[in-house]
Amino acid sequence: MAQDPDSTPSLLDSLGEEIIRIVAPVSACMLLVVLLVSTLSSSSSSPSPLSSLIATAYSDPSSSSSIWDKLSGALLSSLVFVASVTLITFLLVLLFYFRCTRFLKSYMAFSSFVVLAFLGGEVILLLVTHFDFPIDAITFSLLLLNFSVVGVMSVFMAKMPISINQGYLVIIGVLVAYWFTLLPEWTTWALLVTMALYDLAAVLLPGGPLRLLVELAISRDEEIPALVYEARPVEPLPGARRRLWRERRDFGTNSGSNSNPSSLGYMFRQTDERRDFGTNSSLNSNNSMTGEVLPETRLVISEQESAGDSSVSELRAPLLQTQLDSHGEQEIEGIGLGSSGAIKLGLGDFIFYSVLVGRAALYDFMTVYACYLAIIAGLGITLLLLAFYRKALPALPVSIMLGVLFYLLTRVLLEVFVVQCSTNLLMF
Amino acid sequence: MEGQGEHEEDEERRHLGGSGLILRRDAAGSGGGGGGGGDSDRSSQQWPTVDGPLGLSEEESVAYARRFFLWGFALLPLLWAVNCFYFWPVLRSRPSSSPSSFSRIRPYVLRSAIGFLVFAVLLSSWALTFVIGGEQLFGPVWQDLVMYNLADKLGLTGWV
Repeated sequence: MAQDPDSTPSLLDSLGEEIIRIVAPVSACMLLVVLLVSTLSSSSSSPSPLSSLIATAYSDPSSSSSIWDKLSGALLSSLVFVASVTLITFLLVLLFYFRCTRFLKSYMAFSSFVVLAFLGGEVILLLVTHFDFPIDAITFSLLLLNFSVVGVMSVFMAKMPISINQGYLVIIGVLVAYWFTLLPEWTTWALLVTMALYDLAAVLLPGGPLRLLVELAISRDEEIPALVYEARPVEPLPGARRRLWRERRDFGTNSGSNSNPSSLGYMFRQTDERRDFGTNSSLNSNNSMTGEVLPETRLVISEQESAGDSSVSELRAPLLQTQLDSHGEQEIEGIGLGSSGAIKLGLGDFIFYSVLVGRAALYDFMTVYACYLAIIAGLGITLLLLAFYRKALPALPVSIMLGVLFYLLTRVLLEVFVVQCSTNLLMF
Repeated sequence: MEGQGEHEEDEERRHLGGSGLILRRDAAGSGGGGGGGGDSDRSSQQWPTVDGPLGLSEEESVAYARRFFLWGFALLPLLWAVNCFYFWPVLRSRPSSSPSSFSRIRPYVLRSAIGFLVFAVLLSSWALTFVIGGEQLFGPVWQDLVMYNLADKLGLTGWV
C-alpha cells in the first residue's frame, strides 16, 4: 500500500486493514440482502409455496394460536435441517477421505451454477416485475447465461481477477440468504440458533465433522474444495511484530533455527472447511432445487502449528531451503502476520449473518441497525479469539447469539422507548 | 541466476498457493507494478494481470488469455470483458516499452476488447430498440417478448 516515506505504518494500519477487508464484504452482503428483502417483501402479499409447505408440514402457520405450537414446529423443522446438514457433512468428510476431489469440485460447480442461474434468475425476475422494467426475453436470457457461466468459472474453475471472484461469492451469499429469509419467522430464528450450536459442536468437539475435515486437510496439505471468501493479504509490517510470531512458532516446531518459511507461512494460513446445508427435501418438495446441496464453509480458522505438524513442515523444508539459503534472513523476516495467507471466512457465515439481518429487516429498520452492530461485534470478537487461539474456530455462535439477543432486546425494549421519545418530540 | 531463482519462487508460490498459502516475495524483488527503483530487472518487473503479484505468472497468462478469448465465442461476451479487465496492464502498456511476454498476450486481449465492444453495441441497440420502440414498433409481439409478461405466463417466479 502506498505510504509516504516519513511515516511507517503502524500496527493499527495493517491490522485494521485486514479486519476491514473481511468486514466490508460481510457488510455488503448484509446490505444487499436487506435491500432485496425490503424491496421484494412489500410486493409479495401471498405466502410463498415454501413457507406454506413448512406451515402445513410442521404446523407453524402464521395464524397459530399458542406460542408453544409455533415454537415446537419451528424447533422440529430446524432440528431436521441440522440433522440433514450433519449427515451431509459426514458424507463430505468420507468423500474427502477417499479423495474424490474431482467429483466434489464438479458437484460444487454444478450447485453454484444452479444457485446463480435459477435463484439469481428468479430474484432478478422478481425485481423486474416489481419495477416493471421492460427488458425482453432474449437480452435477459443472454445476460443471465453470461452472468452464471462467468460466475461458475470464477468461483471454481479458472483463475479470475480476485475482485470478480470475491464479488461472485458475495452474490451467491446474497442469493442463498434471500432464499432463507422466505422461511416463516419462528423457523428462521430456531434455525439460526440451532445452526450456531451445531457450528460450535462440529468445530470444537473432537468427533465433529468439520474438525475431522480440517484435520484431514491439514494432514494431507490439501485444499478443501469449498466456497470460501478470502480477503486479500495485507502487506506485512517491517518490524518487531513478526519476530514475535516467529518465536512463538519455534516453540511448536522442533526445528528451531530450521523453522522454514512454510511453517512460518502457516502462521495465519487459514484453511477452509466445508459444510453442507442442503435444501431439505422434506422442507420444499416443489422447489426445483430438491436434494440440491450447497457445500459451503462456515468457519474462520487459522491453522495451528502444532508439534504434530512439524513432520509435515519438515517435508516442505527441502523445497524451500534453497530459497532460505539464497535470500537468507530477509526471507524469514518477510513472513509475518498478514503476509502469509489472508483471513478466510466461509460463505455459510456470510449467509447466516445475512439471514439474521434480513429477517430483522422484515420487522423494522431499527432492528436491522442493532443486529448489524451485534454481528460485526461478534465477528470482531471471533477474529480476536482467532488471533489468540490460532486454531479452527466457528464464526457463527458469537455473532448469532449476540444478534438474536439484540433483536429481542430491540424489539421488546428499545422500540417502545424510541417510539415514545419520537412521538413526544424528545429525541430522534 | 536471478531470473531462475525468481522462477523457482513462482513455482513454489504456485505449489503452495494451491493449498491456500501465499508466500510473500522477497522484498527487494517484488515489483508490484510500481516497484521501487532498483537496478535488477526484478524490481521493475511488470505483472501482466491486474492482481499484480497475486495474479498469474506470464506463462500462465498466455494460456488464460487464449482460453478466455476462445471461450468467449460461446455466446459469452462477458468473458471477453473479464479478459480485458484481467489483463489491463497489458492493454495499457505501450508496445515499445512492454516486456516480450506481453506481446504474446496482447493480440488476444485486443481481440477480446474489440469483440466485447462489438457485442455490446449490438446488444444495447437491440435492447434499446425494444424498450423505446415498444408496441408501436413491434405490435402485439412486444407483449409476448417482454420479460415480466413471460414470467407471469410461464409461472417462473412461482417457485420461490
